[in-house]
Amino acid sequence: MWKEKVMEVLEGHFGTKKEITETSHFLDDLDGDEIDIVDVTVQICEKLDISIPEEETFDIGTVQELLDVVEKNVV
Amino acid sequence: MLLASAGGGVLYVKKLQGDLDTAKGNIIKLEDGINEQKAVIAQQEADFEAITSIRNDLEDTNRMLETANRNLNEKFNKLNASGERRDIGALSTSRPLSIQRILNKDEVNERRCFEIIQGAELTEEELNATKKSKINTVCPELANPNYIPY
Repeated sequence: MWKEKVMEVLEGHFGTKKEITETSHFLDDLDGDEIDIVDVTVQICEKLDISIPEEETFDIGTVQELLDVVEKNVV
Repeated sequence: MLLASAGGGVLYVKKLQGDLDTAKGNIIKLEDGINEQKAVIAQQEADFEAITSIRNDLEDTNRMLETANRNLNEKFNKLNASGERRDIGALSTSRPLSIQRILNKDEVNERRCFEIIQGAELTEEELNATKKSKINTVCPELANPNYIPY
């Protein structure tokens, strides 16, 4: 359930023109930048009503890495 | 009569020699003047080259700053797919460490851009960067010649 919500946030943020998969890289595949990763993390926290420590998000590059961090913090 | 003529001739020749010495002295002065003028022209040419070089450097710096400004503007005002404008202020408040980290990285990239403008050679990593995640986002056109934007 939380995973679908994460994907909804990503599609709302990056659009659906480019397919978003777990292996998608935020910069290389979705044409995002590092602030986009911060932005979607904030949106996900609000949507799932969770808190993710900033340090855990520093090295996120792919959707899978974001999912791993979210999963770790979903209660 | 003959003696007077010979004496006059000697005086005339002496006057001619005097005039010739004066002319020689004037030629030497003129040559010195020409050499001085040549040195001035050479210095002016060197100055012009230096000014042209500085102007080219300034134009490169200006181009880089324009690109950096454009990139920063996009970074702070980017629209997402839903048409919402990025609120960098709100993000800085809720995720200060993350935003600070990104800005620090930009600062390092900017310093590197100035090094490149001033003649630093590109590294292998910079030359081989073809992905957005590997480029210098402040001046990719300078630092990453093999990167083709999407």
